Amino acid sequence: MELFLNLCVSGLTKGSIYALIALGYTMVYGIIALINFAHGEIYMIGAFTALIFSMVLGAFGLSGWGLLFASGTLAVVYCAMYGWTLEKVAYKPLRGQSRLAPLISAIGMSIFLQNYVQLVQTPNVLSFPDLIPDIAILAGMRGVASKTQFAILAATAVSMVALTLFIKKTRIGMAMRAVSQDPTMARLSGVNIDKVISTTFIIGSMLAAVGGLLVGNYGRQMDFFIGFLAGMKAFTAAVLGGIGSIPGAVVGALVLGFAESFAAGYVSSDYEDVVAFVLLIAILTLRPDGIMGSATTQKV
Amino acid sequence: MPDEDIRAEGAGAGAAGGDAPAGDRVLELSGVRTFYGNIEALKGVSFHIDRQEIIAILGANGAGKTTCLNSIVGLTPPRSGRVVYEGSDIRGRSTDSLVKAGLVMVPEGRRIFPALTVMENLRMGAYLRRDRQGIRDDLDYILSIFPILAARAGQDGGTLSGGEQQMLAISRGLMGRPRMLLLDEPSLGLAPIVIRSIFDTIRKINLEQKTTILLVEQNANLALQVAHRAYIMTTGIITLSGTARELMSDESVKKAYLGG
Repeated sequence: MELFLNLCVSGLTKGSIYALIALGYTMVYGIIALINFAHGEIYMIGAFTALIFSMVLGAFGLSGWGLLFASGTLAVVYCAMYGWTLEKVAYKPLRGQSRLAPLISAIGMSIFLQNYVQLVQTPNVLSFPDLIPDIAILAGMRGVASKTQFAILAATAVSMVALTLFIKKTRIGMAMRAVSQDPTMARLSGVNIDKVISTTFIIGSMLAAVGGLLVGNYGRQMDFFIGFLAGMKAFTAAVLGGIGSIPGAVVGALVLGFAESFAAGYVSSDYEDVVAFVLLIAILTLRPDGIMGSATTQKV
Repeated sequence: MPDEDIRAEGAGAGAAGGDAPAGDRVLELSGVRTFYGNIEALKGVSFHIDRQEIIAILGANGAGKTTCLNSIVGLTPPRSGRVVYEGSDIRGRSTDSLVKAGLVMVPEGRRIFPALTVMENLRMGAYLRRDRQGIRDDLDYILSIFPILAARAGQDGGTLSGGEQQMLAISRGLMGRPRMLLLDEPSLGLAPIVIRSIFDTIRKINLEQKTTILLVEQNANLALQVAHRAYIMTTGIITLSGTARELMSDESVKKAYLGG
């Protein structure tokens, strides 16, 4: 029973991190029908900048919650700038070209960013400091979930609520939904598509940065290559839930997180990646639109 | 007064004639040529619209009517020619900047945002506006014309019937408080009674909101009943123009477009 509970918590934790990354994939796809394969690298850069900022700010004497929030905020802002620039440099010049062109550009940016970080930050595995302070009231829960797991779940929940409010309640959020449903009509309503696309990249990157910060704390070590596998998994989650659907990405990520966690716990941890990709193949074969995806979006 | 003419006019002939307020030119196209790849869809189109006129562009399928509207609002920018709106050349300007300048198009096929509520669809129409009070007033005005939209306010746009969607599409256009409204095939696929109410509304908007209207229609009979003047388009060029009354009694027009 305790194993089952532990696996549930770790599935939820993994799923949360996948969800934070998967949202970036699915939102960009919803707006410009592009799989942004460089998105995993933004998450990796989020982890690196969180590490660097926490070391710098730590040297200035910051600690505890202050250090966590300050370095987290800086990493989020830094990644937002990366996401914005990425779109301007690699995708905007290719708009209106064949759909393959930006896809190839995305793969190119992914390779470029990996190698850039490898050059600047060394190819070594770096250890990530434990930034999350002890939470006294959680002491009794130690057997079920660690403070890091709680922090991940809390941060993910807050991010999801903030994203939902943004999409549902703000003017630009409404414009994002409009663009994903009918870009031409959105233009005819006065929406500046470029602004909406930039906003989408910025928000996706901010969520990925939160994921990077959290995963650093969770795994406690990282290198320039972590974005690749995490990106693939998050992409799987987005497809699983139905690419283009925001709730779908969250559901897909949680399904994937649980599946991996149970596979690791009851079968063998060697098999968790296998489970992820078997799920991807199964969903593409049996239900290509994903769990929450709808075929009606293609209506003419 | 042309206004009197329109209001007095019944369902039959007697359109307003060519005496709409002259002099204040809202839109003027001259020698506009638009291409899709190598195919020339508009081969030098020229026409004009004065303030508060209703102008119809008539023609068969594929004549280039929709391309003409798309060229004005910048969806398919013309390769050459001039598009002058309120005194400045707008060729090559972005669609959203034109919406801001009061030039609004209601496209063919209605294009309601299916997963946005009726109210959100209306708010999308007012996307660039900041005057909260003005938006509220316009919303009240629109819901007084189309009360059914008030009853459907919380529903997703995709769940509306065709007629309701056309009402919503026009209302969404009006929420931008256009000085000039382009309507592409507003009667397409609608029941006769709904068409009647849509065209009554077009007339009402023209009178009460003083909106200049450019109407593209395949249903020439209907269009000539509300329009002051009309242009006939054939394979990318304007082949005939005149007041609605002139065109209605023109033998070639009767034969080709009025079914007799």
